[in-house]
Amino acid sequence: MSYQFGVCTFCGTGCGHFLKTAGDVIEGVYPAEKHPVSKGRLCVRGWHIHELLRNSDRLTQPLIRVDDELVETSYENALSFLSDRIKKAKPDPVSDIGFLASPRSSNEEQYLLMRIARQVLGTGNISLDSEGWQQSSLEVINEGTGFPGMTGSAEEIDKTDFIMVVDFDITRQNPIIGSEIHLAAMAGTKVVTVDSRQTQIAKLSSDFLQVRPGSTEILMGALARIIIDEELVDLKKIKSSVSEYEQFKKAATKLELSAAIEKTGIEETVLRETARSLAKAESGMVFFPTGISGITPATVKMIFNLFLLAGKVGTPASGVNPVPGINNLQGGIDMGAVPNRLTGFQDVRDSKVIDKFQDAWGGEFCADPGQPIYELIKKHPKLLFVVDHDEGIIKNADDISKSDTVVYIGAYNNPFTKLADIVLPITPYVETAGTYTTTGRRVQLSTQKLKPTGGVKPGWEVLQMIAASQGHEWKYENPAEIMLEIASLTPNYKGISHDRLRSLIGGIQWPCNDEYPNGCKSFDSSKAKQVLKFVAVGNDPTPVEPTEDFPWLLMVGKAMHFWHQNNLMKKTFIPNREFNAELLLYPNGFVEVSREDAEKLEIRNGWNVNVVSPSGSVEVKVKVSGDVKSGTAYMPYFVKDMVSQFLLQHKQSLELGENASVPVRIEAIR
Amino acid sequence: MSENCKSNKDFVIVSTPEVATVVEVRDEIQDVKTFYLRFDNEEVEKNFRIRSGQFIMCTIFGAGEFAVSLPPSPENDRFHISVRAVGKVTKALHRLEAGDKLAIRGPFGNGYPFEEIKGKNVIFVAGGIGLIPLRSSIVHMLQHREDFGRIILIYGSRSPQDLMYQPNIKEWMDSEGFETYITIDSPAEGWEGETGFVHTLIDKANVPVENTVAFVCGPPIMFNSVIGELMKRGLSDEHIYSSLERHMKCGIGKCQHCAIGRTLVCTDGPVYNYRQIKTLGEQI
Amino acid sequence: MYLISKEDVKKIAFELAKDYDLHGPVKEDRSGQVFFQKAEDPASIDLGAAIPSNPAKQVIFPQLERIMKYRYDSQKKEAVVELDELTRPKALFGLRSCDLKGILCLDRFFLGQEFVDEFYLAHRNRLFIVTNTCTSPFPQCFCVCTDSGPYAVEGYDLNLTELENDFLVETGSEKGKKLVERLGLKKADPDKHEAEKKAVIDKSINSFDGTATDNKAWISRVTNRVTTGFITEENWEYIGNQCFECGACTFVCPSCSCFNVEDANVAEGETDRLRTWDSCSYEGYSRMAGDHNPRKPVEDRRNKRFFCKLSYSQSKKYLRPGCVGCGRCAWVCPGDIGLPNVVTYIRREITS
Repeated sequence: MSYQFGVCTFCGTGCGHFLKTAGDVIEGVYPAEKHPVSKGRLCVRGWHIHELLRNSDRLTQPLIRVDDELVETSYENALSFLSDRIKKAKPDPVSDIGFLASPRSSNEEQYLLMRIARQVLGTGNISLDSEGWQQSSLEVINEGTGFPGMTGSAEEIDKTDFIMVVDFDITRQNPIIGSEIHLAAMAGTKVVTVDSRQTQIAKLSSDFLQVRPGSTEILMGALARIIIDEELVDLKKIKSSVSEYEQFKKAATKLELSAAIEKTGIEETVLRETARSLAKAESGMVFFPTGISGITPATVKMIFNLFLLAGKVGTPASGVNPVPGINNLQGGIDMGAVPNRLTGFQDVRDSKVIDKFQDAWGGEFCADPGQPIYELIKKHPKLLFVVDHDEGIIKNADDISKSDTVVYIGAYNNPFTKLADIVLPITPYVETAGTYTTTGRRVQLSTQKLKPTGGVKPGWEVLQMIAASQGHEWKYENPAEIMLEIASLTPNYKGISHDRLRSLIGGIQWPCNDEYPNGCKSFDSSKAKQVLKFVAVGNDPTPVEPTEDFPWLLMVGKAMHFWHQNNLMKKTFIPNREFNAELLLYPNGFVEVSREDAEKLEIRNGWNVNVVSPSGSVEVKVKVSGDVKSGTAYMPYFVKDMVSQFLLQHKQSLELGENASVPVRIEAIR
Repeated sequence: MSENCKSNKDFVIVSTPEVATVVEVRDEIQDVKTFYLRFDNEEVEKNFRIRSGQFIMCTIFGAGEFAVSLPPSPENDRFHISVRAVGKVTKALHRLEAGDKLAIRGPFGNGYPFEEIKGKNVIFVAGGIGLIPLRSSIVHMLQHREDFGRIILIYGSRSPQDLMYQPNIKEWMDSEGFETYITIDSPAEGWEGETGFVHTLIDKANVPVENTVAFVCGPPIMFNSVIGELMKRGLSDEHIYSSLERHMKCGIGKCQHCAIGRTLVCTDGPVYNYRQIKTLGEQI
Repeated sequence: MYLISKEDVKKIAFELAKDYDLHGPVKEDRSGQVFFQKAEDPASIDLGAAIPSNPAKQVIFPQLERIMKYRYDSQKKEAVVELDELTRPKALFGLRSCDLKGILCLDRFFLGQEFVDEFYLAHRNRLFIVTNTCTSPFPQCFCVCTDSGPYAVEGYDLNLTELENDFLVETGSEKGKKLVERLGLKKADPDKHEAEKKAVIDKSINSFDGTATDNKAWISRVTNRVTTGFITEENWEYIGNQCFECGACTFVCPSCSCFNVEDANVAEGETDRLRTWDSCSYEGYSRMAGDHNPRKPVEDRRNKRFFCKLSYSQSKKYLRPGCVGCGRCAWVCPGDIGLPNVVTYIRREITS
């Protein structure tokens, strides 16, 4: 068979595909019709994964830095070089060692990296850099339900009655999930999009609530308030079955509806209508992003509480669904590549869990929560391991270069290798086997399709060699054995094995155990391990307000033109061209304003303007469009000059992700 | 497959590019260089003939292939290309020096309809590097001066430093029966000539309308105002020609990247008259 | 006209495999998905399988193909340009008429007109085509409306039709005749078996989905509309808003021929020139280096592709409609704008 079944490893959707192989190369890709989520579709990225897999810009030789030059060597030499460094530096595991895991690695590789961190080098400083985003969303859901994953699934989009898409350019970021939502809308499902900028999914939705930038949390609170005020759900039942109701009610009703209307810019009738359709729907789902363009943790809490209140958590075809942009971010969290959790979200401080891992691993390990990775990087730890990871490099390059020893493990050449002291090449995913867990908790097996290229070893073998070089002989024969160990230690993965996955198109959705023997489409509250609970929301949200001098709210967008910082897209032909198409039209960036505002300013498409904020200004071209509301403007975060000149001065607001907004003034240049 | 297919009895390098050597490189204006080329294969060098208005596909080794219009006259002119560095491939070309190699396919495209133009007045209107694709026709017509009526060049650029082919222009100005009007967008130090946009010179040139054709090349904004001015004067849209540039991958009418309206720029064009252009229904 | 028993029909495939690289419909074990692909073992070809998920065009116009390689030594100033030698000729066994029509469109496109595409020609040159009358259309199929099925009328070397006991074998070329003679097939009874074949075809046509038979006249009415441009902006926008710009419709289309060419450096001084499928639905498709895209909004580009499939001027190029009615674009579209739906949307506008 020249077409071999596999899993697309670009985004968290995890679409099924077939790779066309001929000898030692991949010649094409084709969508898998029987895949339960993608059902024969792929997005522009997925249709070109073969271009990436043919890329010859691969790491093929281990490298070590000698006299400030990277020189080729063997794996063995590179590892003894590492051992020498460790012996000399004697790093303190708490403060001197850090692991930056990759959300693109397979579960097996994530697990081994975690084991190296915790057992071999004795540190809890391991991270996917997702604590603030995907992991925090899961922490919210876990706190409220005891279920550390998306509570619904993309597979049930066609069965649900109400869908809300929040601050999510989903047709660009996770197009196939976006497609399912679009097709559901076509079939009559109520789809409500909440965003400050009109995205494609907004155009395809039944309702579009174009909120003022930064006011999503207020909107969610207002919807909850209406549900409570109008008693749209059985409040008695909620009070008796869900804990912390009163506290949540207090938080949700603190803000007067009139104030919420003003702050969100959404009319009362629309708010009431939305709250009613959400509450009255048999089932309902919400989708929000957790990647670089994610929403704030506070907003996630409010969304979770709103859907819990509306009875859309733990009921069939319903769910609170955080969606990560990268293929195995969910798997990485599941594998414990985070500072405070072991596999399957088990608390690292739980003594029973500690005992279990000690038994399996045959010895002690570090059971302390680690530090947030970028905090640690700022302190220049002596030893830093980085796996297949070049995002964040621009903002952290200076700090990273100050670490004594940086070990980079990856398949492709990238800017990180320049900062590394030791480079250990691994094979790309088609040259070994491994499992990946989608945003929908779907664990899928990707089988080996090609022989490893010229002496390069698969990641699991390289990690095993690192452990061995530090005196830990693991003796895994293959990735399937690693998964058996993961399953034995992880209740949610208990029934999962390569043998079982091998025959399945679309894998198994965890939990897969005695309660859910065939996996789990959506979380069932009757099987919950705890009483459902409203999670505590923080302080009142205070969105940035425009002022007299700076009357526009500038939204800073990252999602539209980027996917995963385009690190992988750069290595393809057509997606690379497509992701840069907008950039080619506006090589020096643009600011998008509404037609109304353009008329007011007497400016036309393509003219230059100054965008002035309290702390700086930048000259860019204007793009006049119907996608932003009057009084708001949009600027993409993708032009280097803009980042350094202007946007970096607003770093703090940028960290709010897609909710970021900066008050500005726009001046026409005549 | 390495055989060079003969189409319309012309010699055309269709699929497999022929290696050529850069004999000389000249700086023209900022970001624009002229490369003089010679095919390594003597047979090819002997047979390779172009028509004014055609283009070639040029491979820069290790970087890729791009389409480029041909400035030399079909006869008695050194074979060369003039290219502005804008993309990855053209930037790679700019790094080449005399002695370096590149490879060429072509020539492709229709070219200007000289047979139909014989005996007529010709107005060339160019903006900036729009003079590059017109150079071939200008030189050719001057070589056959007796075949045409008045020949007028109206040329403008942003600044004096942005005027292409300045030595050539001086030569042309000296040749008999060649009227030249040159302008820059706004006054500049040391510039004593005209200032203002190109279309404003059309008045000054007192251009004929009867028995006249115009060749117009330049940025879209200039193109539109020039066409407007010419048509206001009564020049028929059929008698205004331009050569269009498009993103191209194959040059032989297959890849469809250069599709515009119902035509392909590479095989139906690149030269169109304005009546055709108007029906294409896309931006120029 | 000849007959071959159902048990023996694959003898044709085995015979072809001696001289050709054999391609045909093969079922993937794990998913049951059918691919039109190289069959190392002729026995793996499944003539009864569903319509292949991929268009047979990929055999002669691959998704990704090296068309040339070159080496350049910038120190020594030495350049060598090389073409890949083409290997054995290819045979397509069990091709459906929709896919055959697609190839005939590609032939006119790549081989007709001013220039011949030599890379396509190299694949096409010695191709042996065995078509198979389609007896099991799928709900998305509508070849009956686009003059492309369910049976082949021209362009094949051999054409098979499954009758009650045997396969009817018709020859369409000298090559086909020679093969039949070599296999020593028995002659069919022209009257009797022609009638049986007609019955098989009628039965097949009757099994098409209602929307397909219903669409018959609509395809031409919509083609008329698209050609004359009488379609509202709102309708194109409605269609354009649903485009996810994935390119799938182009890739799965048996007659779509857009391609991209890129030079990929494989080693120091060594470069492959690759030709890959491309799609006019992409924003970057027509963009030029340096700040200029002649086509802007998505609706405009959609306009282009549907124009290509549904217009008289394009039909003139192919000497038939550009759409062959295979329905694959409807399977793979993340929006809801596979060609049959676009016809429906435009039709809705005409009737309202």
